[in-house]
Amino acid sequence: MGIVIAVISGKGGVGKTTAVANVGLGIAQQGKRCIVLDFDIGQRNLDMILGLENRVVYDMIHVMDGDASLQQALIRSKVDNNLYFLAASQSKDKSVLDSEKIEKLVRNLKKEFDFVILDAPAGIESGYEHTIEFADKAIVVVNPEVSSIRDSDRAIGILDSKSQRVKEGKEVGKYLIINRIVPEMVRSGQMLRSEDILDILDIKLLGKVPEDRGVIDASNQGKPVILNKDSLAGAAYKRIASRLCGEDIKMVDIESEGGGLFKKLTGMFK
Amino acid sequence: MERLGVFLQSKQYSLKVYETTVGEEEKFLSFFEANHILFKDHLIILRGEVSDRIRAYLTSKSLHFLENVTLPEGRPRRELAKELALEKTKQEVKEKMLQSELSKLTNRLENNLTVLDKMIRSGQELSIEGDLLLLNRVNSGATLSITGNLIITQVVEGAIRCSGQFMLLTASPKANIIFHGLEINNSYLEDKLNRVELKNNEVVITPVLKKDINWA
Repeated sequence: MGIVIAVISGKGGVGKTTAVANVGLGIAQQGKRCIVLDFDIGQRNLDMILGLENRVVYDMIHVMDGDASLQQALIRSKVDNNLYFLAASQSKDKSVLDSEKIEKLVRNLKKEFDFVILDAPAGIESGYEHTIEFADKAIVVVNPEVSSIRDSDRAIGILDSKSQRVKEGKEVGKYLIINRIVPEMVRSGQMLRSEDILDILDIKLLGKVPEDRGVIDASNQGKPVILNKDSLAGAAYKRIASRLCGEDIKMVDIESEGGGLFKKLTGMFK
Repeated sequence: MERLGVFLQSKQYSLKVYETTVGEEEKFLSFFEANHILFKDHLIILRGEVSDRIRAYLTSKSLHFLENVTLPEGRPRRELAKELALEKTKQEVKEKMLQSELSKLTNRLENNLTVLDKMIRSGQELSIEGDLLLLNRVNSGATLSITGNLIITQVVEGAIRCSGQFMLLTASPKANIIFHGLEINNSYLEDKLNRVELKNNEVVITPVLKKDINWA
């Protein structure tokens, strides 16, 4: 029986989909069977970031409505045999989602895969609520800025009141990824420190990902940054995936130690 | 001779003394005839003219009595009780004054107190009737409405509406606090612990603690 992880953020554009693609691939690279689902019905992106856009024939709604079988709709990643993808519908909208159908789909996927990762839409509407409804755990992706923190705080509050596990009296494990950290700005006090973010959100830190220009290029090319061996962000996602697979990997203090390396890396793209 | 004290055998007694002045002999005797049982264990001190008849009567009833003596430090019982009560009150006042500001305020939180150790997250709206002791943060975007008194031990970044007698808050530069309909200027809440209260229809903000608080 696998676990279902919803990746949420509240605010859009913080790197949720990028995190899903990289964490999913990272888990697959560890030898675990992993499926990533795009729950952003009507605005799918995950297929592009994974480089699978031209392989989508059937989507999640086809499977839920019984128009296609799961086997027909699942797309296997080109880079790793352990990674599968199920696309969101691009033509429908969030209103087509229905709790019963989602529960059935998620239950079936849990039997087949070790990790079921759901990419939540931005915002806190019905699409978001459906994504978190059957999640066992949640990964919260934030940027070190106040608006992102507040939106995530709101999203966590909704998770704590509306998820199925909470209604059953159980807890949903919540883990934090702080994305797009600019070490120099943190050191000079212009950017929120990780400690302050953890104080506000009060959830467990899963990993810190530095700002990395390589991410944009990686997304455009459909090759998640984790495949780039020289990328700091890629290395950070690798550590995060290992932690999710149960390895005890020390937290790297990217704000102070990474300075020199980071400069070298940004220099590469100038 | 110099060690005489060692050989002295002594005992101390406390006993009840009934002091009375003999006026008319007949009245005195009829009073004692009716009440002599009550004075069985008392030492009776008689003042004024004591006749042989009275002496004979008291002896016949086996009552102990002395005539016209002054006892050292003898005080009426009622006066003594008053004194003791006064002493006790003084002690109580002293103890109360020794109590810290914080514990005094905590003592005032007694009717309908809610204690919560839960983070109030963005978007959450919490309304509480009565007093609230909150041991966690109020995050940006959260709203807390309290009809009674309020103590929060962590930072407030959200909104607070309080209409109790007092609030006790930590330094909260980002909070939006409305106390009895009046907006509190955050720059006044700069100490580790601040008391906000209503005195003669005016909001008074007093620093309580300038040091870090150890709530444990």
